[in-house]
Amino acid sequence: MTAATTASDRTVTLREVGPAGRGTRPDEVVVAVSPAFAGHFTKTIVDVPHVEVLRQVLAGIEEQGVTARIIRVFDTADLAAIAHGGAKLSGSGIAVGMLSRGTTMIHQKDLPRLSNLELFPQSPLLDAPVFRMIGSNAAQYAKGESPQPVPTRNDQMARPRWQAKAALLHLKEFECIQAGRPAVEVEPVFGRVGSRPLA
Amino acid sequence: MQRGACHSGASLRGPTESEPALSASPPPELTTADYPLSINRPELLHTPSGKPITALTMDAVVSGELSAEDLRIAPETLQLQAQLADASGRPQLAANFRRAAEMTAIPDAEVLAMYNALRPRASTAAQLAELADRLERAYSAPVCAALVREAAEVYARRDLLARPTADVG
Amino acid sequence: MTTTEPRPSIRTELLESRPVNLDGFVEEWPEKGLVAMESDFDPAPSIRVEDGRVVELDGRARADFDFMDTFIANHAIDVASAEASMAIPSAQIARMLIDPGVSRGEVLAVTRGLTPAKVLDVVKLMNVVEIMQGMQKMRARRTPANQGHSTSARDNPIQVAADAAEGALRGFAELETTLGVLRYAPLVAIALQVGAQVGRSGVLTQCALEEATELELGMRGITAYAETISIYGTESVFVDGDDTPWSKAFLASAYASRGIKMRFTSGTGSEVQMGNAEGKSMLYLEIRCILMAKGAGVQGLQNGSISCIGVPGAVPGGIRAVAAENLVASMVDLECASGNDQSFSHSSMRRTARLMPQLLPGTDFVCSGYSAVPNADNMFAGSNFDTEDYDDWNTIQRDLQVDGGLRHVREPEILQARNTAARALQALFAHLDLPAISDEEVEAATYADSSNDYPLRDVLADLKGAQSVMERGITGLDLVRGLETTGFHDVAQSLLNVLRQRVSGDLLQTSAVLTPDFTPLSAINDVNDYAGPGTGYRLAGERWEELKKLRHVTSATNPETEVG
Repeated sequence: MTAATTASDRTVTLREVGPAGRGTRPDEVVVAVSPAFAGHFTKTIVDVPHVEVLRQVLAGIEEQGVTARIIRVFDTADLAAIAHGGAKLSGSGIAVGMLSRGTTMIHQKDLPRLSNLELFPQSPLLDAPVFRMIGSNAAQYAKGESPQPVPTRNDQMARPRWQAKAALLHLKEFECIQAGRPAVEVEPVFGRVGSRPLA
Repeated sequence: MQRGACHSGASLRGPTESEPALSASPPPELTTADYPLSINRPELLHTPSGKPITALTMDAVVSGELSAEDLRIAPETLQLQAQLADASGRPQLAANFRRAAEMTAIPDAEVLAMYNALRPRASTAAQLAELADRLERAYSAPVCAALVREAAEVYARRDLLARPTADVG
Repeated sequence: MTTTEPRPSIRTELLESRPVNLDGFVEEWPEKGLVAMESDFDPAPSIRVEDGRVVELDGRARADFDFMDTFIANHAIDVASAEASMAIPSAQIARMLIDPGVSRGEVLAVTRGLTPAKVLDVVKLMNVVEIMQGMQKMRARRTPANQGHSTSARDNPIQVAADAAEGALRGFAELETTLGVLRYAPLVAIALQVGAQVGRSGVLTQCALEEATELELGMRGITAYAETISIYGTESVFVDGDDTPWSKAFLASAYASRGIKMRFTSGTGSEVQMGNAEGKSMLYLEIRCILMAKGAGVQGLQNGSISCIGVPGAVPGGIRAVAAENLVASMVDLECASGNDQSFSHSSMRRTARLMPQLLPGTDFVCSGYSAVPNADNMFAGSNFDTEDYDDWNTIQRDLQVDGGLRHVREPEILQARNTAARALQALFAHLDLPAISDEEVEAATYADSSNDYPLRDVLADLKGAQSVMERGITGLDLVRGLETTGFHDVAQSLLNVLRQRVSGDLLQTSAVLTPDFTPLSAINDVNDYAGPGTGYRLAGERWEELKKLRHVTSATNPETEVG
């Protein structure tokens, strides 16, 4: 909202670098994103830009000395499937799964698909600091540590404000599913909007 | 769970147990004016262990004469409530009470297991057929068995059966 | 215009700051089912019966039925009257619903033969006032009632008991609880039961949990009824919920076989919320749920969108559809616990307007339920109304002379009930060797508003106690015995009387509640006999005198004082 250069000036595109393979480094976390993430959609349900989401998650992972690898899933918009699929490709067995509207999950490859390490179901309550903590926690799990779960918030008025929009975004994300198309590894290309000066 | 209590309750019904619940004595013809039975027809109400409802007093509770089994509904009572449901134009509700009357003999844990067996892709066609047979043979529950057989037919058509070899987890 | 830069007007800024603009609204998307009740993608009504069997339903042949079609065709629709009922023009059925000259029974004789698409076709013709007129006549029980939630953000059993006592005293006929930490369930369910009987004898209680535990608490007599048995309008969402109409019908009978009252839960918006509405309108899918419930033989249904209220609430005509779904439950002769039970809007005007179609005609339970604790303590994620709204609710009842099931109660009575509930629970916990309740906690419960007003409990000790309740096999009878031997005779007797009801089965009948003198009141002995002005349930006599009382009413005899 200020005149200064803000997160909303930044952009990200996800450039495909090849099929998503199984990682070999035990110190990596996979970040698995949904079909429309940083593509058809550019921000979460509460307008956190996807570029900011990714920057924070990646920063949270890196600050723990762990590397991150991003993959895009095409054939499902089910968060548990995305996160668990990512975990199975992760060298550490840990993945962060994310939907375009912001709903996020930390998963581990040996857990049942419908289970998880941490789930953040209330997408309207996820902001930049939370995404950073999620990245950090995922990295700590990857190192074999047992971090304190990221504190979950609750807002009783989230339903009247966001429930219908969440349903709409869910339906749109479903439309972006490409059945049968395997996941790809992607590289984030960060940029800035238009000719605004760099800060 | 009250598996033991349930069995003892069933055995108290003795020789009539293998027959439909009310075949021994013809049921009274109830009308909606008999409702509520607890007020208008208490003499018709018994616990599964055979005590009249009027025996469920505080003194009996404190003296330990009553067990949890005494606070269960008897199949005969469910048949009476089914009559009332029919008399008030509610055939589906009556059918539910008739299934329930059959189920009073099934222990709690097995009722839950049967419910779980009816969940989607939880049972094979053979398992559902077996369940229906068990309802009929072990519990004289033909109405429940018919519901299970109907489910099995629909599940087969709608791909909701477990695969015989599937590792159902 | 001389300004150089466009800026919002002062009025626009004011309007922007109004709470209603914090609510979410979306456009319709009928192809995906994001539409309330008017969609070109809903099927046209049709039926064909051959050899006593429905072979075509709403344009689909039996071979193509999904499992909802099959269950409805096999169990819900009266084949003997279906073809004749379906031949009646929808406009004529809609007129029957609002015509005081046509009795409830005459309407039921027609609706029992209708298909989901036909029912939709009928209610689509009705505006909200007509829907209310229909509800006034079709509600199953003559006397309306209300249900409350008593929960605690800390799962504090003493709070649940005290607020249940106050809620029961204020008039809720049913009280429901649920948990933050599920393992607390046995202690909180016991607290709810004790508090409810202290407040008003005969109030029925339930604890919303996953199916197996909910049934077990019911079987043990720690709770009196159940309602969180969810059903859905499409086969795919039903299967996602790990159930089928047959598994749910079996469960319905399981509850009845233990003498426990039970209703299903469904509501508009759940299928589109879960992404599988199959391109059908929210109301069409909800009507399928209602007829499925009817076919299963449950006595009633909790509907009115429930936890998905944000979805119909965001589309045009959505709250009309929600009113219509309550009417449909009533017009097929099911008990209807009519929603108004989840946080719905930031705007108090909108919250109230959403309530009118249920409050004005009256339903079996106007809310399912009203938060009898502050919304911050409501573990159902907040209700449309909470404890802060008690006086507003009572005033609206008095203004419009309608019975929403509550009443104003004077402070000394409330304090006494809260105190007694806390003391009874204290004595019972001591008797059952459960974690102690201190005198300080009893004192807090007497005067508290929210969970913040209570001393903190030792949660680990409580959870151990809760586990021991299950392991030791404690039943409702143990609660009765404990209350009796510790001197809480009235509470013990009330609880015993409630437990005795399961032996009689009287509460299994449609819309049954218990009066303070333990008379079961249901759609059999309290038939809705509405037949136009001056008939049916009227707020009059003693009950009306009770509802004239508010916190502050100036005395006509001595205007320098207040009565109340």
